[in-house]
Amino acid sequence: MADVEERPHKKRRFFVDEAPIDDSTFSGEPSSPDDIKPLPETNGFDVHLDQQASTDVFDAATFQAVAGGHVQVSAIRSLQARYGPDLEQAVNAYFDGSWKTPSPQKPAYTARNAGQGSISFGVQPRNAKAQERSTPSTSSAQPASPPSKLPALDTMPTMRYIGALGVAGWTTRSGTNLLKPGDVVKIDRTKQQAIQKAGKGGKVKQLVRRTQDVIVRFTNVKGEELGRLEKESALWISTLVDQRVCSFEGYCIFAPEKVRTNDTVYIQLKCYLLKEAFEVSNFIKPLENNRETGIFEAKETSDERDLRLRQIGLVKLFSEINLHPSKVNETTARHKREGILQAAEVAEQYEQQDTGMKAKRSTPEDGGGSSPPSEDAAEEGEELEQDQLDSLYKKAQSFDFNTPEAQPAATFAMDLRKYQKQALHWMLNKETSQKDEERQHSMHPLWEEYLWPTKDAEDAPVPTVTGHDCFYVNPYSGEMSLDFPVQEQTCLGGILADEMGLGKTIEMLSLIHSHTSPEQQAAVQSGSLGSVNSLPRLPKTSADVERAPATTLVVAPMSLLAQWASEAEKASKQGTLKVLLYYGNEKNANLQNLCCGANATTAPNVIITSYGVVLSEFNSVAAHGGNRGSHGGLFSLEYWRVILDEAHMIKNRQSKTAKACYELAATHRWVLTGTPIVNRLEDLFSLVRFLRVEPWSNFSFWKTFITMPFEKGEFVRALDVVQTVLEPLVLRRTKDMKTPDGEALVPLPPRIIEIEKVELSTPEREVYNHIFARAKRTFTANVEAGTLMKSYTTIFAQILRLRQSCCHPILTRNKAIMAEEEAAEEAADIANGLADDMDLQTLIERFQADEGEQDASKFGAHVLKQIQEEAEMECPICSEEPMDEQAVTGCWHSACKKCLLDYIEHQSSKGELPRCFNCREPINARDVFEVIRHEDDNDAAPTNALTAAMDLDEDDELYGNTQRGRKASQEAPRITLRRVNQLSSAKITTLLNQLKRLRKAEPLTKTVIFSQFTSFLDLLAPALTSANIQWLRFDGSMSQKERAKVLAEFANRPKFTVLFLSLRAGGVGLNLTCAKRVFMMDPWWSFAVEAQAIDRVHRMGQTEEVKVTRFVVEGSIEEKMLKVQDRKKFIASSLGMMSDEEKKAQRIEDIRELLS
Amino acid sequence: MTAPLPKRIIKETERLQSEPVPGISAQPHDDNARYFDVMVEGPGGSCYEGGIFNLELFLPDDYPMCPPRIRFLTRIYHPNIDRLGRICLDVLKNNWSPALQIRTILLSIQALLGAPNPEDPLNEAVAKQWKENQPEAIRTAREWTKLYAQKK
Repeated sequence: MADVEERPHKKRRFFVDEAPIDDSTFSGEPSSPDDIKPLPETNGFDVHLDQQASTDVFDAATFQAVAGGHVQVSAIRSLQARYGPDLEQAVNAYFDGSWKTPSPQKPAYTARNAGQGSISFGVQPRNAKAQERSTPSTSSAQPASPPSKLPALDTMPTMRYIGALGVAGWTTRSGTNLLKPGDVVKIDRTKQQAIQKAGKGGKVKQLVRRTQDVIVRFTNVKGEELGRLEKESALWISTLVDQRVCSFEGYCIFAPEKVRTNDTVYIQLKCYLLKEAFEVSNFIKPLENNRETGIFEAKETSDERDLRLRQIGLVKLFSEINLHPSKVNETTARHKREGILQAAEVAEQYEQQDTGMKAKRSTPEDGGGSSPPSEDAAEEGEELEQDQLDSLYKKAQSFDFNTPEAQPAATFAMDLRKYQKQALHWMLNKETSQKDEERQHSMHPLWEEYLWPTKDAEDAPVPTVTGHDCFYVNPYSGEMSLDFPVQEQTCLGGILADEMGLGKTIEMLSLIHSHTSPEQQAAVQSGSLGSVNSLPRLPKTSADVERAPATTLVVAPMSLLAQWASEAEKASKQGTLKVLLYYGNEKNANLQNLCCGANATTAPNVIITSYGVVLSEFNSVAAHGGNRGSHGGLFSLEYWRVILDEAHMIKNRQSKTAKACYELAATHRWVLTGTPIVNRLEDLFSLVRFLRVEPWSNFSFWKTFITMPFEKGEFVRALDVVQTVLEPLVLRRTKDMKTPDGEALVPLPPRIIEIEKVELSTPEREVYNHIFARAKRTFTANVEAGTLMKSYTTIFAQILRLRQSCCHPILTRNKAIMAEEEAAEEAADIANGLADDMDLQTLIERFQADEGEQDASKFGAHVLKQIQEEAEMECPICSEEPMDEQAVTGCWHSACKKCLLDYIEHQSSKGELPRCFNCREPINARDVFEVIRHEDDNDAAPTNALTAAMDLDEDDELYGNTQRGRKASQEAPRITLRRVNQLSSAKITTLLNQLKRLRKAEPLTKTVIFSQFTSFLDLLAPALTSANIQWLRFDGSMSQKERAKVLAEFANRPKFTVLFLSLRAGGVGLNLTCAKRVFMMDPWWSFAVEAQAIDRVHRMGQTEEVKVTRFVVEGSIEEKMLKVQDRKKFIASSLGMMSDEEKKAQRIEDIRELLS
Repeated sequence: MTAPLPKRIIKETERLQSEPVPGISAQPHDDNARYFDVMVEGPGGSCYEGGIFNLELFLPDDYPMCPPRIRFLTRIYHPNIDRLGRICLDVLKNNWSPALQIRTILLSIQALLGAPNPEDPLNEAVAKQWKENQPEAIRTAREWTKLYAQKK
C-alpha cells in the first residue's frame, strides 16, 4: 500500500480563516475498508479537553484562537444533545460484550455542561473523571445525572478505562460533511506485515524495517478512512495498539465543514487498558532480555525494540492523560520518568548511527594515549576519567570508624584487625538482616502503583472492580500487573571492595566461619554427637538443583586458587573447614553428591574453583539443554554462598564468563574486587547483575539512568545515580585511610620509589636514535597529511619498538637474522677455541692434556691458574682490590670488567686497534670474558625451580653449565668464564650491578622484577644465571601446579632469590610480601598500573620497608613517558572531565611529546 | 678539580711514598694531587751519573687511559729529550698502557738516561753529535750534568 508516512507538506492554512460554523454534517464516503484488526469501536466522548492534552498533542490555546470559543461551545452542545443521554446504555453494552461487535450504535456522549465554554479548556483538572468503559451506546449528556453508583465488577473486564486525551489528525480525503464535531471516529491500525526471511541456518530473522510503520488511521463508524493522526501521537499510540496494551476510541471535536485533504481535525480519545495487557505471558521478560542483547548496544534485538517502544508508549500515555503513580518506590522515584523518554530518544539516535558507531568504536583512538588498544573492544560504555572514579568511590568510602564490630566464630584461627571485624559485622548484617517480613510488604522498586480512575473526564463515574483499585506498571520493562508486585528477596550479599592488601580474603573467610546455614549448624551438632548422620548418603539422582547448605563456592582467577586454599587452611582451626580445590583432575567428583543437604556434615565447606572451570561447565550444561542437576558439577547446586574473587573478571556483561557466573545459584552472593569500576560504569552493572540487586540488575533500568545520561554528557547526574547504587552495596576502605587517631588503617612499612637513570651504550644509542628518527618521520608525515588518528596503530607500534630498544636492542630485531649472526659467530669461536661459556677447570685440564705444544700448554695452565689466584689482586687499571667483576682478555689478562671495556672503548674511539693493556696483543671487544666465581653459591642449588630435578652431583665436562653443582671435594672455588656483552644492555648491566650489590649487603633478600616485555624477561633470566643469581619465573603460560610451586618456592627459599613477573600477568591478586625489593624494568603509560604491581609486594603482611627501583633510560622516550604520567595525574585532578575533542587533542599531544 | 681523586691515583701516590724507588722521588703538590714534582738521579755508570734531574709530571683527567704528561725541568743533553725537556719515549706515547704507572714510567725514564737512543731522536742536533762523535757528546752531557744537575 502506498502509505504516505508523513503528512504531506502543504501550506498550513490559518484555521481562523476557515473556522466557520461547524454544524454541517458530512456524509462520509466509503473509503478503503479496514483490512486489519477490528478495533473495538468506541464511542464515548469526552467533550472536554483535559488539561494534559493541552500541551503537546492538543494545544487548547491554539485551538481556541483558531476555532473560537463559540464554535467549541456549539459543538459541545450539539454533541451533548445528540449522545448525551445514552451513557448507561453504553455501559451495559460493554458489560455484555456487545461492544466488541461493531455496531451501528450511536456514540456515547458525555458532555460537560455547555457552560464551560472555551475558557475552561485546557484547565480541566486531572481528576476530571473518567467515564468508564466505552460502550457503543448513546449516553446521557448530563453530568448531573450520571449513574453515580455503578455496580462494582468482580473481575477485571476485558478493558478498563484509564483516561482521555486530545490529539490532532489530518484528513486524507476531502468533501463536505465528512466529519463533524461529535462524530464518532474509530482508531485503526493497519500494520504492515513484518517481512520474514529465512536467515542462515534456517533461523527466521525478522528484518527491521527501515522506518517503523506508525500510521494510525481514524475512520468513521463505517470504517471508512477519514485521515490519520499526527505523527507525534501516532508514534506511541501505534505501539500501544499493536502490542495489545490499549484500545482507543474517539470522537471528533473539531473539523472544518468542508474538509479538504490535509486539513487538521481534533479528536478526543479515550483510552482503555486491555485485560490481556496484564497477562504476564504476553510480555517480554526483562531478565531474559538482559542476556539477549547483541554485542553492540546500538543494535537492538527486535524484542528489545518492542520493549523500548512499549516503554515510551506507556510513559507518554500516562503523561498525556495526566495519570500519576499513587505509589512509587523510593529509589525509583529519585530518577525521573522523563529519563525513560530521553533514553528512548537516545536509543533511537543510536540506531540511526549504528554503523557509524561501530566504526568509531573500533578505531584505536579509544585506547588513547593512556592505554594500548584493548583486546576486548566489545566492551560498551565510555571510559571514566580518574577523577570521576575518585568521586564515585568517595561516597562508598565514607567509612565510619565507629561502626560496630563482630567477633568471628571460634573456629576462625586468625586475629582480625578492628576494621576487619567491622567488615565482618557489615557482611553478617548484609547476609541476615534483610529477609524479614517487612520486605513482603514493600513494593518491588521497579514498579509504580496507579489508581484506576473512578470517574471519567466528564466526571461521570466509571465502574469499579472489587478488589482492584489500582494497577501496577513497571515503566522499565513495560510490564503491567494487577497484582501487587512484591519485592523479591534483595541481595543477601554485596561488594567487598577494600583496596588490595587490606585482607579481603581473610574478611571473607571470617564470614564463612561465622555465618553458617541452619542446616550446617544442625549437621555440625549432630555430627559432634557422633551420630550416623555423618555417613555419606547418596542423594536421589535428580535433574534438579540441590541445595548445598554447608558450602561456599569461591571463584577466583587461576593464579589465586592455591593462595585461597592455603589462606583458608591458615585461617581455620584444625579440622573445622573442609576445602575442596575444584580444578583439573579434582573435577571428577560429583559435587551434587558431595554437597547435598543430606551430606552436610561431610560436604566441603569451601569449594575453590576458577573462572575457566565455571565457564567450561556452563558451556557443557548449556550443551545438555540446561539440565543442571544431572551434570553433577558446579551448576548442579544452590550454594549457601558464592564469592567471586577479583570480580572485575566479569566486568564485561557480554562475556561468556560473566554470563556463566550470573547463573551460579546461591543464597548469598558476594563479589570481591579492589576496583568495582575499572574504567566504565558498565563494569559495575555486571557486578550488580551478578548480585541480583533490584532494580539495577535490570539493564534497561541501568541504561536509562546511568549509561544514557553519561553518554549524553550528564556526568553529574549519572555519577550521582551510580553513587546511590554503590552506597548500600559496597564496603570499601583504602590503605591510606586513617583512624580518627590519625593512625593508618593498616600500618604498612614505608615504600620508597627511586628512579635509576640508565645511560645507553653507544651502539644501543645508535639503534635507539635510528628507531626514533623513523618514528618521528612517520609522525610528522602523518601530522602533515592529517592522518594522525588513522595511523595511530603504526605510530604506536613504532613507539613500542622505541621502548623495547631502551631495554635491549635485540628486542627490536628480527629473530631470524639474529640466529644467523649468532651461528656465524659461533663458528668463528670454535675456530679460535673460545666459547661463550668456559669452565676454567675444564680449560686448564685441556691445556694440561695437550701434549703437542707443551710450553704453550704449560703457559696456558699457568695463566689460567693465575686467573683463579688473581681474583684477589688489584686491578691493574683502577687499582681496585680485589677486582670488581674480574674479566679477562682473550690473552688471559685480568682486570675489572668495566676497566677493561672502558680501555677497549677508549682505544677504539681514538681509531686505534684495541690491544691488551698488558701484553699489547690486539684484542677483540667480543673476546672479553667475565670470570664467574661460584663461591657465593655454596649450596649449588639450581637457579631455576623448574629444573630442580637437575641438581646433580657428578662432575660434568660440559662447558659453562653454571647451574651444575660443584663437587664438595673441590678445593678452589669453581670458576666459569662467560663472554661479556653477550646478552647485555645498559639496563641489564645496571640491574646486575644493583643485584650484586644487594646480594652482598643483604644476602637473604627476595626481589621481584617486573617488565611488560616477556621477551625482555627472557633475556634477563640468562644474564642473572650468568651472574650466578638465582631466579624464578612466574608467567601466564604456566600450569596452575607450576605457578603454585613457583610461588611456594619463592616464599620458602631461604636465600637471595629473584622472581620475574610480567607486568600484566603479575598485576592482579598475587601476594608477594616475602619480597622487599622491586625493580620495574620499564615504565608503563600510567603509573597506576605500575603501582598495582608494586602493591603485590607492598601490601598487608609486608613487615619491612619496600624499596622500588624504576629503571629509566636517560634522554629517551622513557623519560618522556614519566612526564606524560605526571601530567596525566595533574590533568585528571585539575581539569576534570574533558570532552572527546579535548581527549583526542590530548592524545596527539602525548605522542608529540613522546617524539619531541 | 671537582671530581674526586680516583682510587688508582691515591694508591699510586701512597705507594710512591711508602715504597720509594731508589734514585727516584715524586711528590704531589698540596693544591693539586695530580701534579707531581719529580726527581730522578742519573743512573750510575752513565754520563748523567751524579746529576739530580727535576721533572714535572701531570696526570690528565683520563689517566690511566691516557699516559701522564711529563717533562724535564732540568736542562739535559740527551738525544731523546728536547730543549724544552720533552721526552721521546714510546710508553709515553703509543705504547702507553693503563697497566703502567707513575713508578714504571719514571723507571723507564731513568733507563732512558742510561741508554740514549739517537736512532729515534727528538733533539736532532744532539742526536747528530751522538752519532758522529759519541765521546764528545758524552763529555758534553757530563758537563751539562755538572752545570745544571749538580746539587749546589
